[in-house]
Amino acid sequence: MTMKNKKETKSAPILFQMMIYAAILFISQMISSMMPASFPVPTPVIGLVLLYVLLTAHVIKIEWVDSFGSAMISMIGFLFVPSGISLAANLDIMKAQGVQLVLVILLATIILLVVTAYTARAFGWIKQKFGERHAESQVSQSTVGGDKQ
Amino acid sequence: MSYLTNPLFGVFLSLAVFMIGQWLFKKSKGFFLFQPLFVSMVLGIVILVILGKTFGVDTAQVYTQAYKPGGDIIFWFLTPATIAFAVPLYKRNDVVKKNWGIILSSLIIGTVVSLFAITIVAKAFGLDKVGVASMLSQSATTAIALPLTTAIGGNASITAMACILNAVIIYALGKQLVKWFKLKDDPVGAGLGLGTAGHTIGSAFALEMGSAEGAMAAVAVVVIGLVDNMLIPVFAHVIGL
Repeated sequence: MTMKNKKETKSAPILFQMMIYAAILFISQMISSMMPASFPVPTPVIGLVLLYVLLTAHVIKIEWVDSFGSAMISMIGFLFVPSGISLAANLDIMKAQGVQLVLVILLATIILLVVTAYTARAFGWIKQKFGERHAESQVSQSTVGGDKQ
Repeated sequence: MSYLTNPLFGVFLSLAVFMIGQWLFKKSKGFFLFQPLFVSMVLGIVILVILGKTFGVDTAQVYTQAYKPGGDIIFWFLTPATIAFAVPLYKRNDVVKKNWGIILSSLIIGTVVSLFAITIVAKAFGLDKVGVASMLSQSATTAIALPLTTAIGGNASITAMACILNAVIIYALGKQLVKWFKLKDDPVGAGLGLGTAGHTIGSAFALEMGSAEGAMAAVAVVVIGLVDNMLIPVFAHVIGL
């Protein structure tokens, strides 16, 4: 039991984890600055892809980045507070056409959520419909395989 | 006002308003308007307005001189927090590998449909050309959205406001929206939608729904930025902005 617990909580020291994050961000920042001005790709986007690729390629082990990353994600609501308060700098725009803008943004948010979700659902349905025959043959193959074992 | 220009003021104010938000949210048993982020945003702006009135200076000036130095320190940590989404993404690699076709096609088609819908809504509410242009790239992360807006003739600070409000709206209304539009039984769609509409905050929300939703939202945050980068200049040209 204690052995199992130890294995589950096994994670690299926090400073080591921070170093990994810093290294990835440093490299991402260099890549980001090389992108053309007409096609900007920000550091966090490159960093996310880079970390994901390195994890998938097993260059970075999950326990090197797991607990620090989870801690950061759990704080993300708080980390967004300065962005929210930054609207204080644009109160003029809000006074001029604030109600209109907020309503359009509210509707746009709902449009983005619902359109994307339903498009994905439609494609999922198409894939299921057209992949049925393929999936069936795969299922029968795996049952045969299962029988052998 | 000089002793407020120390960054510690901004750091303290952010923490204090967020704590009040969390307390209110708990006390009201999760009333959606008392979402900690929304409360801290409103409360923080109100405090800055009051400070401005007290010292007889413009609110924007109070923001830049007193709040921003501390706010920037907290804001900086959003970068490592964003790349940390690679972890839940990697943990659900199975979902990603199985659905990459759906992910790409629905984010591209979804963006085209959304762009038309947003343009119609913006025009119906009487926004001018600049206003419409500022609404288009809000699904991308701020660092992609702002230069895009400038390139198609919009006002970058309106887009910045939109990107922030997207996240606040998803954070505050996410539960209701998921229920109203019955998104719960389709983890791929729900995750992609939440990541597109709510950016990183949407991803954190999706992660609370489930690991598959969280992974899909993280993918959406990355891919939607690149899709917007390619499609929006073309779209703006087509509708004649």
